Amino acid sequence: MTTSTAVATEQYNYDIVKKFAIMALVWGVLGMTAGVWIASELAWPFLNFDVAEITFGRLRPVHTTLVIFGFGGSALFATSYYIVQRTCQARLWGGKWLPEFTFWGWQVGVGGGVLLYMLGFTQGREYAEFIWQLDLAIAVVWVTYTLIFVMTLLNRSQPHIYVANWFFIAFLLVIALLHIFNNLAVPVAWNSLESYSLFSGVQDAMTQWWYGHNAVGFFLTAAFLGMMYYFVPKQAGRPVYSYRLSIVHFWALSFLYMWAGTHHLHWTAIPDWTSTLAATFSILLLLPSWGGMINGIMTLSGAWDKLRTDPIMLFMITSLSFYGMSTFEGPLMSLKSVNALSHYTDWTVGHVHSGALGWVAMITFGSFYHLIPRLWGAKGMYSTSMIYTHFWLATIGIVLYIAALWVAGIGQGLMLRAFDEYGNLAYTFIETVTFMHLPYAVRAIGGMFFVAGILVMVYNVYMTIASTKRGVAVHVAGQAAVAR
Amino acid sequence: MKHESIEINAGLLIILTLVVVSIGGLVEIVPLFHIKDTVEEVKGVRPYTPLEQRGRDLYIREGCYACHSQMIRPFRDEMLRYGHYSLAAESKYDHPFQWASKRTGPDIARLGGKYSDEWHTQHLIRPQNVVPESIMPPYPWLLKNELAYGDIENRMKALKMTGVPYSLSEDEYQANVAEHGKEMADKLHIPNARATLEAEANGRNLDGDKSRITEMDAMVAYLQALGTMVDFKQYEQGYFANFR
Amino acid sequence: MSEIWAWLGDLGNSKVLALLIFFTTFVGIVLYVYTGKQRKERLESYKNIPFIDDEDKNPASKHGDQ
Repeated sequence: MTTSTAVATEQYNYDIVKKFAIMALVWGVLGMTAGVWIASELAWPFLNFDVAEITFGRLRPVHTTLVIFGFGGSALFATSYYIVQRTCQARLWGGKWLPEFTFWGWQVGVGGGVLLYMLGFTQGREYAEFIWQLDLAIAVVWVTYTLIFVMTLLNRSQPHIYVANWFFIAFLLVIALLHIFNNLAVPVAWNSLESYSLFSGVQDAMTQWWYGHNAVGFFLTAAFLGMMYYFVPKQAGRPVYSYRLSIVHFWALSFLYMWAGTHHLHWTAIPDWTSTLAATFSILLLLPSWGGMINGIMTLSGAWDKLRTDPIMLFMITSLSFYGMSTFEGPLMSLKSVNALSHYTDWTVGHVHSGALGWVAMITFGSFYHLIPRLWGAKGMYSTSMIYTHFWLATIGIVLYIAALWVAGIGQGLMLRAFDEYGNLAYTFIETVTFMHLPYAVRAIGGMFFVAGILVMVYNVYMTIASTKRGVAVHVAGQAAVAR
Repeated sequence: MKHESIEINAGLLIILTLVVVSIGGLVEIVPLFHIKDTVEEVKGVRPYTPLEQRGRDLYIREGCYACHSQMIRPFRDEMLRYGHYSLAAESKYDHPFQWASKRTGPDIARLGGKYSDEWHTQHLIRPQNVVPESIMPPYPWLLKNELAYGDIENRMKALKMTGVPYSLSEDEYQANVAEHGKEMADKLHIPNARATLEAEANGRNLDGDKSRITEMDAMVAYLQALGTMVDFKQYEQGYFANFR
Repeated sequence: MSEIWAWLGDLGNSKVLALLIFFTTFVGIVLYVYTGKQRKERLESYKNIPFIDDEDKNPASKHGDQ
């Protein structure tokens, strides 16, 4: 193993990492604000304002696309480009322009996609609403991304590939597969923005949820685990708890995840055996999920005091706890009996957000607080107390959000299946809608807390970067002080 | 093969990862394209008429699937509330499927025929006018916008390529006549598409305004078709359970 | 040969076979990873890769303190 002597900022391509990191925050603020807006529309419907472009149905994919692909995607580009360079001690492959192409391609794809949703152009497939032209463009960007990543790996300065990169490889390959097969479609005309999916009905449903579930599995889980396997040890200043566990974790997770997608279609018109198979694998999935969580959390074993002194560590360990919680809740909800109640209700939405806010966003925040000062050559973040403020705003937001949707989801599920003494339905549908007003309001407020948190982060990041620009002046002032 | 060679060989790592992640999808999805029982044989399911299909396009444009499912599960409460549980065959011409995953509003798989055309028009213009507690957004522009149907032939041709039996040739037309009767076969004939769309919109007067063909005409036509194609009286109780 | 394919084509057979193959592979990976003292040391040494290159101190000598 060789120790690098070159200065990191010169040896590595940090410019592209900086760009993606900043755009992750920009899309994060926009996407989460869109989320608060549509959550508020459910609580206070006048907010639709009779404007087609901002009705719930059109804004909902704007929210999901911005947070998953804009915020999450840009964060993954940033961290994967950083991690692959740092763990391979090799500069990012592709010169200046190929990484730059992935940057502009991705940003234009996300931005153009959501504008088109608002104008009414969508494929009508959840989390894959991009029109067919953008799907093609994104496929090209993705292949370029994969090529850059793999070529950088091949240029590494030592034989072993660090485990974080394994997770990124699985993520790159699976997302390519999912994206291509789920978006197979016949365009209305070569110059039309609209298309019809190649598959229909049952087959289309299976393809879509194979995509939907594994986008969660490999985009929102495996890739963020890659992030975790690098940044948690780095921030803790100690290596990951068990490297051998991480190997078993990787293979088990990669294999098991792909079987579980059909649990999104329990009790529908799909054949029963696919349902049973999916439920079984969903339960098995608990093992690698918790293996990964334990591996991350135990990295801190023997240094638990860091949780009291380091808010960045607090973010990371809390995110792993939420990961553990939602990967327990997931298998529970994949049981057919539980799913009968939970499916179609807000319990599912709450579950997704305990993963998306608690795990994905929090591990990203923690990693960024570690990453940003290093990218811009600052000593640390501008304000540590603001990191604490962000942490508490985010945590309170998540707790309000999840608790409100447990009440809404389980409550509505129970009301819808309730019968009166004569065997008639006890409640009409609209009565359950009225019941959900209060939880919906609380959920929107929870979302506002979370947005407030990321705004604090944005300010903190801005000041950190600005301070490095003023760094020269500070340095001179310091010398003057010493001389005196 | 030593695991060590995987750890140090990026190509091998890529290939093995691909193998491992492909199995699940292959085993669960591929058989659905082959197994006969996946989609039951049932009479009555037909492609959407040009007007209904345009309505379906609008349904997707507005993102209705974010709040309404089209998939009734075989539970007592759902069957009391919505009707017979949904069959696979009933969405076999749905490109893309719109089963959806969330019911912020009720399931609408069998909405067709439950309310009058006028109710739907009023409800879409302002849902709170007919259901005061509703949190559904209003869609007044559906009534204001003229329906664009200049590309209806292209749309039907694209759907035909995916396997929807719209007819172009005489043989295909005759097959539809045999399957769905002459009146419906005429509507499914691509060369007639514009004329039949106009005739259906004007003939049914769905939005209460005869002078124009609006997006409301198409949307209501689609909503009124939902779940009405299979005549469940023709089948013995329990027949469909064989296909689950 | 065609009998083998026919046998595999029956989902009842192929899924049991697939289960066996993958379970064996999984057990193989676990055994590989968790046996052998040398292998243990080699594998666990990789966990230090993130600390090789940079401004941060080597965790072996000093537990990080930024």
